[in-house]
Amino acid sequence: MHERLSFYVKRDSPLHSLNPLTKLTLVLGLVLISFASPWYWTPQFLVLFGIIPLIFIGKVQREYFGAMLRLILPASGILFLMQVFFLPGEHEIFRIWVITVTQESLTNAVTNATRIFLMVSSFTLFLLTTHPSELMSDLTRRGLPGQFAYVIISTLQIIPQMQSKAQTIIAAQRSRGLDTQSSFGKRVGALVPLVGPLVLGSLVEVEERAIAIEARGFTSTRKKTSLYEIPDSSLDKVLRWGLILLIVVSIASRFFLAGS
Amino acid sequence: MKFIDSIKKDFNTMTWVLIPVAIAINVVVGQIVLVLKLPVYLDSIGTMLVGALCGPWAGALTGALSNVIWGLAIDPGAFPWWPVAFFIGLVTGFCAKGGLFKNWWKVVITGFLVALTAAIVSTPIGVYLFGGITASGSSFITAYLLQTGQGVVQAVFSTNFLVEPVDKISTALLAFAIIQGLSRRFLARFPRPENVEIETGATRTQMFIAIGIVILLVLFAAFVLVNILS
Repeated sequence: MHERLSFYVKRDSPLHSLNPLTKLTLVLGLVLISFASPWYWTPQFLVLFGIIPLIFIGKVQREYFGAMLRLILPASGILFLMQVFFLPGEHEIFRIWVITVTQESLTNAVTNATRIFLMVSSFTLFLLTTHPSELMSDLTRRGLPGQFAYVIISTLQIIPQMQSKAQTIIAAQRSRGLDTQSSFGKRVGALVPLVGPLVLGSLVEVEERAIAIEARGFTSTRKKTSLYEIPDSSLDKVLRWGLILLIVVSIASRFFLAGS
Repeated sequence: MKFIDSIKKDFNTMTWVLIPVAIAINVVVGQIVLVLKLPVYLDSIGTMLVGALCGPWAGALTGALSNVIWGLAIDPGAFPWWPVAFFIGLVTGFCAKGGLFKNWWKVVITGFLVALTAAIVSTPIGVYLFGGITASGSSFITAYLLQTGQGVVQAVFSTNFLVEPVDKISTALLAFAIIQGLSRRFLARFPRPENVEIETGATRTQMFIAIGIVILLVLFAAFVLVNILS
């Protein structure tokens, strides 16, 4: 079992060729505006006229809708149902047993569920169109310490290795008669023989790896060069400043309207 | 600058190499727990390991990056919870620095303090981002408390306070057991091996005092909770 540990799909689209930082600003912009804007229909508007066109511009509609059905819809759907049934309110619409649906709970549930939908969608969109190492090398070039890039990239490599190691350990312990399915007590008892070997085994490798990267100048403070150049066009800069302006406007309008 | 120096002390090459492994431990052990269908998460063992061995700021960074990775690779909905993981690592680090990671009952206290912090930090996120009720199972408790006429903040906080301690205390104990399984030569290469040196000798009186303090803390927390509820 070798799971691919990144959402990224390689396509040739305008969204893919944008600079990673621009896409990150776009994501943060969508999320912040949906939370800050005082207008009730903002999140719904942003889903319809922000997320959906962007999916088609990025040519990732098939992967996005897959992720939507698997992750985003269940999460925001359950959130919506829980909130509509259980948030308190004044104006009752109807009532079944202990469950009361009110106008307040309905409007709040719609807003919260759409915001979550929008937030997770925009992150998914970002991850579908941006390769993690591209993002990291761009951020490192802009001054993020190299250690952070090392941590993120090597974690993405270590997790699948460790998952397959975990599978091996589970299979090995089961074949020796370890009970992982019956009573609660047995399952708690199974935790130590599964977690122990996995964790101790992976910690042993740490020292060797530390020596290896130390020998390759990991802690050197000199400026490092990069093998790949990541494009940052003037369009990127215009988009970024435009988005920042929009974010500021929507946050300001919230405070302005709340004050009046 | 004493403060900057104490942050710098947390990070040597061993720390930077341990962090990715710790994040992977968080993720993979979290998934093993799902396979075993246990009613806890145990998804911060690695964070607590780093917090105890390398210091508070390294632990905090591990926690925060752990959520970023979780969001990048598994579920993009995990991003907004990063401050909770950040504080789990930070508090573990400070507890370990204060000597609360040296034998099992001290580790229980660490777990309890971490749980309290996690409950406090996750409350505003749950309330302002998700409107109080999230899609997790424990939200049924929140929903019940809301139906009894409580405010959203109180309901969310009480739920977190009921759920967190069991999870965080078992996480801390597991992390402690793992550290005890490592050789002293290996531990000595991390920035703060003195945090986890096991204590032996006459600690019985200390233990009774500590149990007394914990009971007092729990009573105090219950008192505060009852006051908020009424």
